[in-house]
Amino acid sequence: MFFRMIFGTLIRQWKKMLMIAFTIALGASLATAMLSVMLDVGDKVNQELKTYGANITVVPKENSVLNSLYEVEDGGSTGAYLREDELGKIKTIFWAFNIVDYAPFVNTKAKLDDGTEITAVGTWFNHHMELPTGEQLDAGITSLRSWWEVTDGKWIDEQSIENRNVAMVGSALAEKLGVRMCDEIHLTGSVSDLTVKVAGIIDAGGDEDNKIFMPLDTAQTLSGLDGKVDSVEVSALTTPDNELAVKAAKDPKSLTIAQYELWYCTAYASSICYQIQEVMTDAVASPVRQVADSEGAILEKTQLLMVLITILSLIGAALGICNLVTASVMERSAEMGLMKAIGAQNSSVSGLVLTEIIITAVFGGIAGFFAGYGFAQIIGHTVFGSAINMRPAVIPIVAVLVLIVTLAGCIPAIRMLLRLSPCEVLHGK
Amino acid sequence: MSLLELKNIYKIYGDLHALDDVNLKVEKGEWLSIMGPSGSGKSTMMNIIGCMDKPSKGEVLLDGVDIAKESAKNLTMIRRDKIGLIFQQFHLVSYLTAIENVMLAQYYHSVPDEKEALEALDRVGLADRAKHLPSQLSGGEQQRVCVARALINYPEIILADEPTGNLDDANEKIVVDLFHKLHNEGTTLIVVTHDPEVAEVAQRTVYLRNGRLHKETINQHFTGEIKFDNEVSV
Amino acid sequence: MNKRKMFFRMITASLLRRRSRMIVALLSIAIGATILSGLVTIYYDVPRQMGAQFRNYGANMIFTPTDGSFTSADISQGKNCIDQKDIIGVTPYRYESLRMREQPVMAAGTDMAEAKLTSPYWSVEGEYPSAEGQILLGATLSEQFRLGTGDKVEIGFTPSADDNDETVVDSTKEFTVSGILETGGPEEDYVYMILSDLEELTGVSGKIDLAELSISAKSDKLKTYADKINSSVPTIRASLVKRVTESETTVLTKLQALVLLVTVVVLALTMICVATTMTAVVAERRREIGLRKAIGASNSSIIKEFMGEGMLLGAVGGIIGSVLGYIFAQQVSINVFSSSISFMPLLVPITILVSVAVTGISCLLPIRSAASIEPALVLKGE
Repeated sequence: MFFRMIFGTLIRQWKKMLMIAFTIALGASLATAMLSVMLDVGDKVNQELKTYGANITVVPKENSVLNSLYEVEDGGSTGAYLREDELGKIKTIFWAFNIVDYAPFVNTKAKLDDGTEITAVGTWFNHHMELPTGEQLDAGITSLRSWWEVTDGKWIDEQSIENRNVAMVGSALAEKLGVRMCDEIHLTGSVSDLTVKVAGIIDAGGDEDNKIFMPLDTAQTLSGLDGKVDSVEVSALTTPDNELAVKAAKDPKSLTIAQYELWYCTAYASSICYQIQEVMTDAVASPVRQVADSEGAILEKTQLLMVLITILSLIGAALGICNLVTASVMERSAEMGLMKAIGAQNSSVSGLVLTEIIITAVFGGIAGFFAGYGFAQIIGHTVFGSAINMRPAVIPIVAVLVLIVTLAGCIPAIRMLLRLSPCEVLHGK
Repeated sequence: MSLLELKNIYKIYGDLHALDDVNLKVEKGEWLSIMGPSGSGKSTMMNIIGCMDKPSKGEVLLDGVDIAKESAKNLTMIRRDKIGLIFQQFHLVSYLTAIENVMLAQYYHSVPDEKEALEALDRVGLADRAKHLPSQLSGGEQQRVCVARALINYPEIILADEPTGNLDDANEKIVVDLFHKLHNEGTTLIVVTHDPEVAEVAQRTVYLRNGRLHKETINQHFTGEIKFDNEVSV
Repeated sequence: MNKRKMFFRMITASLLRRRSRMIVALLSIAIGATILSGLVTIYYDVPRQMGAQFRNYGANMIFTPTDGSFTSADISQGKNCIDQKDIIGVTPYRYESLRMREQPVMAAGTDMAEAKLTSPYWSVEGEYPSAEGQILLGATLSEQFRLGTGDKVEIGFTPSADDNDETVVDSTKEFTVSGILETGGPEEDYVYMILSDLEELTGVSGKIDLAELSISAKSDKLKTYADKINSSVPTIRASLVKRVTESETTVLTKLQALVLLVTVVVLALTMICVATTMTAVVAERRREIGLRKAIGASNSSIIKEFMGEGMLLGAVGGIIGSVLGYIFAQQVSINVFSSSISFMPLLVPITILVSVAVTGISCLLPIRSAASIEPALVLKGE
């Protein structure tokens, strides 16, 4: 009989129940959408921040002290280099998945025919790699220097060019030399000379405008540095630093084993640097503060912002559901009074109301969950152009939230129902 | 010309003839009771007279105007000008005080006048409870507020639907006494009831059964004076 | 008493005497309005606040000399072309090659207080130089020369050989290392000192090689600033640090789009919530509507009264919501960005209007349906 009454209500009062279910669904979808977006916003914004370029640089150990000075003073040939054949290993570290992009650089001085000395940089443009894990990666400055503007011609596509004697010229240099796309430049390096064809002009808005960029092996040939690179720039998704990370960055050995594990297994810039040093011979990897720090700050702020907005909308959704449940249960006071008049106990009246509402809430909640998932995907695709990853934690949170809120919404109404005296209700007060 | 004249009224819901060829005349100043068992068509008739419903067929002449042909909007206007309604459930607006409930009728009719509303409450003996909310009034008092509200706009007809249905004997007497007073002042009264005691104090009683006027009695002893008691008989 | 007075008397009576129901409705409207005003405030403030965060990336405009060098007077002339409130910091730099322990080092003379503003990412172990005679040493150099905070070192300057002037002798000065600079970038190879120290050492003053500017503006606005400076100050070539400006625009646009979309979704859902609650609240009063019709109210006057009530409720809810929304936005701003939010006066009437409109519309449907039913049905049945 109990269930018959409940189904009676659900079916015959379907309009009202539908409205309650609808509101619960709205609340649940809001909660689902906001929670999913909130939990995923870190990764998404992190991806976006990659446009700022590398946040880790790797240089040879002996060289890390002298590198810049020598470059300033005499143009290049120092003793220490990183090994080109080890570059692939960067993508095999514990946090390999977080390494989104990287590019090696080899700097060399070259003379033009008129005797002017210019800096030639060998690097990857869109170097294709087959990783031991079976993954594939296109890495290089085409993506790492996303803010560079190619004003004439286009980026060198390493996969399609046959002749590797191509180069991209910085805009300032190009202006000085008066070269344009398809022009040829003859360069004399320290060991050999070659003629490169200009594939494009780069407007970088910085020092790079005075340099010439060419594929890694071309520059190596020019300078006789086969298989060697000066430095590597790595762009990695990192977690903002906390105290532990700061402590570890100074000296990983100062950590306890538990701390070390935690640090090693968290994508801090410092732990990724540490792991890169583990796989590359005689390398020093250090975070680029300008990028790493700012990323950390922005990520943190964005996440906090989303958390607060989520809390506000959750409160909004909760109060909305509460309100409607209260309003609609109160509306049925006459019916409840009648039931009490014909002998229903307080407990059975409240049981009936609660069961009805909960059944409605379950349906509403499920519908809302899927709607919210949809909203999250719309947000993901519109803003970031990629799907929002649904965290499994969202489901229990939303479920518990909907139940608690619905029950909380019933409380004032049920208290009122219990206070009802049947005769008052039936006399139309 | 009669104040109200029902000519061959039919009200048909599907197969059910709620009213079936009803003819009735009510003169100005008359006190009429409509009696009948449940389902006899009393309420339907009261709704039609009260301009809240229209007959399926026939003419309802109120002051010579056929209200059966009027639009819903005009019906509302006619109702507020000519009809004062009294309900079994009182139907006072719960959040308005007694006097505000009376003024509500003035408000819809023309202009609210607190002094006049207070006079109306005084007539039903509730001047001292004017500022009370319905929940603070007894059933009888609520019904008297309802009466005050019905008569505030000097309607042609006061139409009461089971006015004593929810009242105890003492309050019933007060309300019936009020009707006497109104009648003596010349108000036309139509009281729908199934309580013979209430019906029989009227000048004339019509009996409905299965949607038809079945019988009509004239109260021979009607004097127009207040002499309500349990011994009144036909 | 006139009709209008009675109208308001009825509405206020309904709102005040049916307190618990009205609070339910009011609460719902107030929440909606809070979310509206709070999120919209945040939406408009995000670019400003986030923009400030993006200034962590350092300078987004640099001044380079068109010919040789420029002076600090040129810088302030350039500064005047920029809206003063947009300027976060302007740092002049002068680079010279100096000698430290008989080895060549690159030194930069600058204004430390400004450098702190334009390069907030600098991590200094120790202190920034606060007085003459102190230097900030790049981490690479610190390692190379084994110099730590508090150590003293003599730095010398040899006039360039071209001068070939016998009278010019090496000038030296003893400096205290006040801090070690870590950036993970080329800055670690430099010695930073206060500009006047460098001028004293070299004997040449009023010469600046470069100035870094951190300006809180979007890239198109920056471009107009740069153009203005380039045309009005002939000695300076202002250019944007593309890496910073381009990326900032990209990320900021996305962030704002995110907040916008979230705001739209949350608002839409909240408004529907408000609407359903109002619908429920009005639907409860069918009987009363029937009664009013029975005693002579026309449909239009019923709609007018109930809408009046709903809209008054909407207005009150809107006012409460504006206040709460501002408080919320303020809290968010303080917690997230540690700065207060700018109050937008226009948002108050907008919030009130929107909540009045939403409640009005959500009341209209149930009131119309209630008003169109026959009063007799409501009064008898149900």
